[in-house]
Amino acid sequence: MAALLGMLILPGLMAAEEIKLSGEMWNRWTLEAGKAPGDSSDATLRNNFSLERGYIGLEAKFSETIKGRFTVDLFSSDLVKDGAGLKLKYAYVDFSNLIPLPDLTVTAGLQKVYFGTIYDWSYNLIGKAPSDEYKLANSADYGLTLNGFLPAGWGEYAFGVYNGEGYKNYGANLKDNIDPAFLANLRLMPLPGLTLGGSLMTNGSERRIKLADATANSSYNTQLLLDALLRAAFGPVDVWAEYMSKEVSFADAFSAKNYTATALSVVPCLKLNRLLGADIDLTGRYDRWDETGNPSNKNLLTAITGGVNYNFMHDDSANPAMQLQLNYTSKTYDEEKSAAAYANGLKDTGTLMLQFKWRFSNTIKA
Amino acid sequence: MKKVILTTILLTLLALPALAKGNRLTCSGSTTVLPIAQATAEAFMNANPELDISIRGGGSGVGIAALMNGTVDIACSSRTMKAKEITQAKSKGLNPTPYAIALDGIAIVINSANPVKNLTLKQIRDIYTGKIKNWSEIGGNKAPIVVISRDVASGTFEVFNEKALAGAKVVSTAQLLASNNAIATTVGNTPGAIGYIGLGYLTSSIKSVSVEGISPNSASVKDGSYPLARKLFMYTNGKAAGAANRYIAFIQSAAGQKIVQEQGFITLN
Repeated sequence: MAALLGMLILPGLMAAEEIKLSGEMWNRWTLEAGKAPGDSSDATLRNNFSLERGYIGLEAKFSETIKGRFTVDLFSSDLVKDGAGLKLKYAYVDFSNLIPLPDLTVTAGLQKVYFGTIYDWSYNLIGKAPSDEYKLANSADYGLTLNGFLPAGWGEYAFGVYNGEGYKNYGANLKDNIDPAFLANLRLMPLPGLTLGGSLMTNGSERRIKLADATANSSYNTQLLLDALLRAAFGPVDVWAEYMSKEVSFADAFSAKNYTATALSVVPCLKLNRLLGADIDLTGRYDRWDETGNPSNKNLLTAITGGVNYNFMHDDSANPAMQLQLNYTSKTYDEEKSAAAYANGLKDTGTLMLQFKWRFSNTIKA
Repeated sequence: MKKVILTTILLTLLALPALAKGNRLTCSGSTTVLPIAQATAEAFMNANPELDISIRGGGSGVGIAALMNGTVDIACSSRTMKAKEITQAKSKGLNPTPYAIALDGIAIVINSANPVKNLTLKQIRDIYTGKIKNWSEIGGNKAPIVVISRDVASGTFEVFNEKALAGAKVVSTAQLLASNNAIATTVGNTPGAIGYIGLGYLTSSIKSVSVEGISPNSASVKDGSYPLARKLFMYTNGKAAGAANRYIAFIQSAAGQKIVQEQGFITLN
């Protein structure tokens, strides 16, 4: 695999005038306990160390206007087959000279999905961005986007077309999906510290008429994904609030399966560096995921997280090269409204995670 | 009563870091702005001995990132901030505010033994993209051109790239150096070399050529006729206050601008 990857990317890298080599490792200890309704006590569900992410990236600068990025995720955990795995996370090229508009980039390849907070989720908490956590959107996908910035820092925007299936799914049902996903994203900053944003994405799953026998496919559905975002960052306080909805529509004959799910997520962060003289953040998160309209997986989840980050070994630009994160997350399903989810094996859980992240980067000039 | 005591303690704790920082000012960023910042800081500290001003280089991009991360009070930059940087800063609750402190021209420099006196922007672009490889192609001696450029963190490079290269790729054989000084020294020691530096770094061992027939000097930079003229900036988060405000006001004052001129740069007025 490594040899194949090398053969694919080496010719491109040879043409680059500058290559940035970077890495980011997430070493994590997870202790999780949980119980289903009727259980008398919590059972330990997980207690393990892992390398949850092992990103290795190459960013090749071919000119001031053309840059490529290639990132793989080498992870190691006893939860996956063979204890390790490799995913291609990004493989794209940015062209900032194709369309003569200032600060506009055309990006082609496996790239970020500009939906909600997923594309710039900074992992102040160990958990994923809400739209990733609740499977509304993927953090990366194959496609073509126009993404850029408004003048004078008024905001940013993106329009894109993607496969709609993400970067780590597989199987015949994906092969059958011939409908692309379309995306529009806009963020505005009317004043420093205040961000208002919205995203819209249409997507589909599987094929309306089965190829094998030309009959209607009961699993075929289309999705309308919406996201509204508010961020307020003033002084040491930084709060994100995000509301998302996912409207899933099946073919007329199967319209009984139609449903809408919603999520609300509030993520506050208090930066204590000015007060303590050390780069420490207190973080929190409140999530409410309402999928009670989904007949096959009714559930209403409340998740609350508290945590602390200690950032150290900063680089010249004061970005932390090392970070220690401690999070505790409590997930509770509403017993009355989550019968189907419990039947599917979900449990109320309490999870303690301690994570050590470290990053490096070096630029090699041709 | 307990609430009052608690509130007082809390407010004191919150105020302590600000008080502690009252006599200390940190600046980082552009190596072009560095000599101005160092010389003016020295003069300002002489007049205000209670103040401690720390100046670091690193490049405009590094200084701007440090300002966004809240670890410096002033970012020195030889270019304006990009829309992406302003957007990122605003999203974090910062309001980067520019203060012009000097004018500068990016001087195209060659070894003092090189007879070439003028280059057009097209010739500069062709040299830096590798289309022109020998000085004899542009009226010079028969000698290969040694192209010297700056690293990516450099604001000087960004302005040069925008104004002279129009975004074109610098030839892969170019030597990339980390500072104006390094370029001046290398060009001075290399007969066939060409580089670009801030006017304040010109020395007797190198010479600047005119661009499109216009020499980089005080008049041509001030009236904007020199094609590679630019402003040099200091950025603060929001309107400069306290020591930062006094320091920047000093640089913009007649006394500060005199130092700007002594360092080889062009005054604002």
